[in-house]
Amino acid sequence: MERVGRARFALGIRAQLLLVLTVFLVIPFLGWSYVRELERVLRDAQERTLAGTAQAVATALHDRARLFDVTPVALESLANERDAGESSAGAETEQRAVPHPGAVAEVAQILQGMSRTTARIWVVDRNLDVLARTGSLHRVVAQSGPEPDGLESAWRRIERSVLHPFYALVLAQPTEEFADESAGATLREAREIAGALAGILTTDRRLTSDGRAVIVSAAHPIWVGDEVRGAVIVEETANAVLAERNRAFERLFTIVLAALLVGSVALTIFASRLTARVRKLRDDAEAAIDAQGRMKGALAGSLAGDEIGDLSRSFKSVLDRLSQYAGYRENMASRLSHELRTPLAVVRSSLDNLRQQPLPDESRVYIERAQGGLGRLAEILTRMTEATRLEQSLSDVERERFDLGALVTACVEGYRLAFPHRTFTCQIPGEPLRIDGAPDLVAQMLDKLVANAHEFATPDTPIVITLVRAADTARLTVENEGPPLPQGMREQLFDSMVSVRPGSGGDVPHLGLGLYIVRLIAEFHAGTARAGDRNDGNGVMVTVSMPLARAD
Amino acid sequence: MSRRIAIVEDEPAIRANYADVLRRQGYEVAAYAKRDEALTAFRTRLPDLALIDIGLGDDVDGGFTLCRELRALSPTVPILFLTARDSDFDVVSGLRLGADDYLTKDVSLPHLTARIAALFRRSDLSNAPAASDDVLTRGALTLDLKRLMAQWNGERVDLTLTEFWMVHALARFPGHVKDRDSLMRDARIVVDDSTITSHVKRIRRKFAAIDPQFDRIDTVYGMGYRWNE
Repeated sequence: MERVGRARFALGIRAQLLLVLTVFLVIPFLGWSYVRELERVLRDAQERTLAGTAQAVATALHDRARLFDVTPVALESLANERDAGESSAGAETEQRAVPHPGAVAEVAQILQGMSRTTARIWVVDRNLDVLARTGSLHRVVAQSGPEPDGLESAWRRIERSVLHPFYALVLAQPTEEFADESAGATLREAREIAGALAGILTTDRRLTSDGRAVIVSAAHPIWVGDEVRGAVIVEETANAVLAERNRAFERLFTIVLAALLVGSVALTIFASRLTARVRKLRDDAEAAIDAQGRMKGALAGSLAGDEIGDLSRSFKSVLDRLSQYAGYRENMASRLSHELRTPLAVVRSSLDNLRQQPLPDESRVYIERAQGGLGRLAEILTRMTEATRLEQSLSDVERERFDLGALVTACVEGYRLAFPHRTFTCQIPGEPLRIDGAPDLVAQMLDKLVANAHEFATPDTPIVITLVRAADTARLTVENEGPPLPQGMREQLFDSMVSVRPGSGGDVPHLGLGLYIVRLIAEFHAGTARAGDRNDGNGVMVTVSMPLARAD
Repeated sequence: MSRRIAIVEDEPAIRANYADVLRRQGYEVAAYAKRDEALTAFRTRLPDLALIDIGLGDDVDGGFTLCRELRALSPTVPILFLTARDSDFDVVSGLRLGADDYLTKDVSLPHLTARIAALFRRSDLSNAPAASDDVLTRGALTLDLKRLMAQWNGERVDLTLTEFWMVHALARFPGHVKDRDSLMRDARIVVDDSTITSHVKRIRRKFAAIDPQFDRIDTVYGMGYRWNE
């Protein structure tokens, strides 16, 4: 059946739900912002820690004028310190021409205490000569733990093979392989040293020369009296913060991803179930009513307690009520006729009894009239039930294959006898037109068509009955000359109880069931019935098309 | 001794009318409105013929039940259904239960009395030898007009009275087309066209039950039926 009013761009419930689900993609974005915030906080904390360390070292070195007293033999300054590079791990203090080795050792000792941190600490004097240095920027990367097994290992594998490459794409990964050669050189121009030597605790961050890592540094002035005599510089890579940020982001993203995945799968399943139920309901509802709007079967109401189950039950109750009403309407005629038959029998038997009494002749006239009226009443009742009875009997009619041409010829012979004052013109094709169906019913249908035509035909004009083959159908046409059909009634002519006869004259009652019976029989043979004006405009033709039997 | 007819009918006016006309015909009439009332009376004394309505008050199929019960009491008493119902289903149900005939309430009283008389004749003569002048023979078909019995190839065909008269009307003039009106006249019933059709169908089926090759009754579309030899 064709579905009407369907949107051209239909989006199923499933697609709509998945579309709604995209709203949740904002969660990773929120996570990202949160992690960024976290990173900022961590950075600030790192800078403060470094500043604290620098201050602590500087505090230990304040007012030790002798450390800086000696005119240093500038054997080494920050400019060439870089040659030493990172070879000096641990608490190594460059031995230089410093007149007070004890003081230098003291500095070294102080710095030693700090060397366990991941920071590198420099002590320089005003000329940027390095008095002491300890620690390394490179962290030792911890070996990963023992390989987990089972589910966890599978999950780890997925994490490593799918998620990590993806994270590597979007997140800067901390690396311990960065160049630190230019550290000294840049240090010379570094803002924080300048700041520190000017007497202000300064922090700064810079990229390494190869740009692979960020170094955070803090410099604190060393005071001797009112004079800044040197500075403590504490450096550290931002890798720890970066790693922390990455870890936080990865964990968050993985959880969100998993939640989204599980959520969308669950929603898809849910939506599929929902749409399947709605579809089933739709199919059931459509199947319950046939093309003519008649009820075919009851709808099985769902037992589900939700709204769709509710809808299904409400559909069922609506259809049931509709079906009851349709049944009531369909049975109306037959029930009415059945109910009327009994009082009719009372009247008839009373009249019959009365007739057997000795009565004066003038009374007999009235009895005859009463019986005439009774006959018409009985005729009406019979006709009222004819359509209903036909509908009921159609369900168990046995089909056979017969030649429509022969049947029409035989029928027309009968009509010539039955209507001796009427001319019948009959055109039948030479070849047999076989159809599968009930010949009795087809004859009954033709009876109705001819009776109709005879009644409307102008006296002394022929009734033309034509049977032609059109492709796979047999087309039977009954034409008569006479008044055309009233406009706007053509479609309803074949409905029950529709009559276009003017007035209610004549002895035979008209209930408008004739063409309805024609339609029922045509539909029983999978055919159609149409009524229209004749091409020349002064007559009516009714055409019944029925499919031919398949040759097999 | 006059014959005794039982009328089981819930509508008092019809019951009285039928009783009156049958009494005038010289029958003794016992009228009942309810099934149990009628059955009690039947147990005491069997009627010579029973005229039963199908719907008895609230008991919509009471007549069918009563027919079965009466048939159990006596396999020979003629039973005639007289009802407002005329669907094929009801007709077939009634006849299967062992009724001898089935008339709708459209029937006129002269028809009804003629039918009753014929039923009595049939039950009277069913055991008497057939007189040859009352027998119509058409090939394998033998119609005993006295006993209103039909035989095909020597086997009895269990026709109702209506059916018997229809077969008789057709077979009397083989090859002649009988239209529905004349069939109705000959069978002494007043029914509509489609009931005639279903009567003919039932007749064919009854003959076909004895002889699957039976094809003597032709439908002449638009006209009626014909006995074909």
